[in-house]
Amino acid sequence: MMLKRMKLSTKVYLLIGLALAFLPFINDSRWFMFLMIQIFVFAIFAMSYDLLLGYTGIVSFGHAMFFGVGAYSAAIVMDRMEASFVSFLLGTLVAVLIGGFISFLAGMLTLKLKSHYYAMLTLALAGMFLYIAERWRSVTGGNDGFTFRIPELPGFLEEHRNFVIYLFCLLAMILLFFGMKRITESPLGRVLVGIRENDQRVESLGYRIMPYKVLISVISGMVASLSGVLYAISIRFVDTSVFDIQVTLDALMMTIIGGVGTLTGPIIGSAIINFSHHYLSDLANIHWIFQRWMILFGAIFILAVIFFPNGIVGTIQNKLAKRKTKKKQYDTTEKSLRKEGA
Amino acid sequence: MELIINLSINGIATGMLIFLIASGLTLIFGLMSVLNFAHGGLFVWGAYSGVFFFSLTGSFWIGILCAIVTGLILGLLTEVFIIRPVYGNHIRQILITLGLMLVLSELIKVVFGPNVLPAPVPDYLKGSWLIGDITIIKYRMFIILVGALIFCLMFFTLRYSKIGLIVRAGVMNKEMVQALGINIKKIFIFVFMVGSALAAFAGALFAPSAGAIYSELGMEFGIYAFIVVIIGGMGSIPGSLVAALLVGLANTFTAYYVPILSMVVTMLLMLIVLLFRPQGLFNVSGVSNK
Repeated sequence: MMLKRMKLSTKVYLLIGLALAFLPFINDSRWFMFLMIQIFVFAIFAMSYDLLLGYTGIVSFGHAMFFGVGAYSAAIVMDRMEASFVSFLLGTLVAVLIGGFISFLAGMLTLKLKSHYYAMLTLALAGMFLYIAERWRSVTGGNDGFTFRIPELPGFLEEHRNFVIYLFCLLAMILLFFGMKRITESPLGRVLVGIRENDQRVESLGYRIMPYKVLISVISGMVASLSGVLYAISIRFVDTSVFDIQVTLDALMMTIIGGVGTLTGPIIGSAIINFSHHYLSDLANIHWIFQRWMILFGAIFILAVIFFPNGIVGTIQNKLAKRKTKKKQYDTTEKSLRKEGA
Repeated sequence: MELIINLSINGIATGMLIFLIASGLTLIFGLMSVLNFAHGGLFVWGAYSGVFFFSLTGSFWIGILCAIVTGLILGLLTEVFIIRPVYGNHIRQILITLGLMLVLSELIKVVFGPNVLPAPVPDYLKGSWLIGDITIIKYRMFIILVGALIFCLMFFTLRYSKIGLIVRAGVMNKEMVQALGINIKKIFIFVFMVGSALAAFAGALFAPSAGAIYSELGMEFGIYAFIVVIIGGMGSIPGSLVAALLVGLANTFTAYYVPILSMVVTMLLMLIVLLFRPQGLFNVSGVSNK
């Protein structure tokens, strides 16, 4: 019954999710599982980023701070307490609360100003978090970071720990994907797109812009913190690299390559970027340019912004939409011609 | 007392360097509302080319000249190839200049090597003066003097020359200037190149005072420059000077007395300004921040 009422797209998404769940049975090598988990985690992170960039038109340069805060709070709570599911839940809760609080603060301060201010403030804030993480050695372990234990799984599941984490991250990604899809398709999402396109018009229609912007900034911060928690759990280790500007840049790149203003885009982008990270580092032995792959990264980024602003998913969607309208036009002209003939 | 004076000189010198970067940034923003996130990249390119040509030719001044030329060329290329395709779209401007920043700071490693580069002080600026109990490092005084000179030059050019008049008018109301038959895009290229050259110049001046340079400096000083622009008010040169000195002094003093807070204090300054005076200390009327 429920299947019948679903939209076709939802069915397709669920089917792909199911297929992904069975992927480890085909290839269960450690590095492949690890790579897939990274893809899921960063897909969640990039989707949360796209809520800001793609749906509301807010540029954040410090999204890594939510990721880092999530990773560190989960890790610290689980390290200090006994590794149990209670501590895991508590860590997640702490991560989400802190992430939400920071994004609320940053949003209240700068979202009523030009987009530059939010970008600059988040960039500076993320720099500050990195600095604190480096200096506050007693809690964060400084640059070396620290490892921690995650709760043991009951029974035979413990032997397939990696598989369970894989499924857990996949499930989280699917749930958060549908959750965010629900938000973007709701009236709230429509208002956000309106703010992106023309905030003055939205205001003159009687909406107060600030609460909407702050709300989406808080939601995005919370989801990003969750992805940080998953990241920490999947590698059982945190160090200051989670606050690195590179994390933000990765999310930016994933969103732009995959498709700004779509939720499937960041997932595809995450797959592309993670795979190319993996293979480009192998290529470093062949030619020196691959060692300095940041140049390639930056150049692709610039070209993508100029020539390919809609990303993969966006471009495909545009093409499909064009074809549809063409077909419609064709149909109507054909009908009218027939009428005239008769 | 000696300590306080020394720290003040140190802070003012740092502030002057940040002012040189921020002044270009603020004019570019005021004129075309383009926020150039790659501005710090020009700073570090200036630093490297200054040191490189200094060691090549043995003349400090040729090094500085080459840094300025590098800044002018990079500024021209940036304006034509990077900024022009994305005029009028803030989000794409922010993204694309960030991409450029990455390319610029990685290219440094390709051209000059990935290692930290030592940067010597020229012989005639080495050492320090002793006045009573107070030691004054010559090179820092030199930076302060040059910074003050540049500020005066910019201030008077903007106030009394024709091009300064057009730039000021453009910052206030771009459309009106265009309607009066002035090609604001040409003016903008000019300001962009001058701003880039100033950032490169600041880099060349900075390198000897730090003793060693590395490619990540661009991001660091870029962030300081943004903060200064926010505090000082976008589009205002005196605002940039005051804010830069404030940030420089606050940084040096906290770095000495409470080293843990040195990064935080700059952020706090910015937060306070954003809370109570979001348009900045010296807002040029007409430049909105909304």
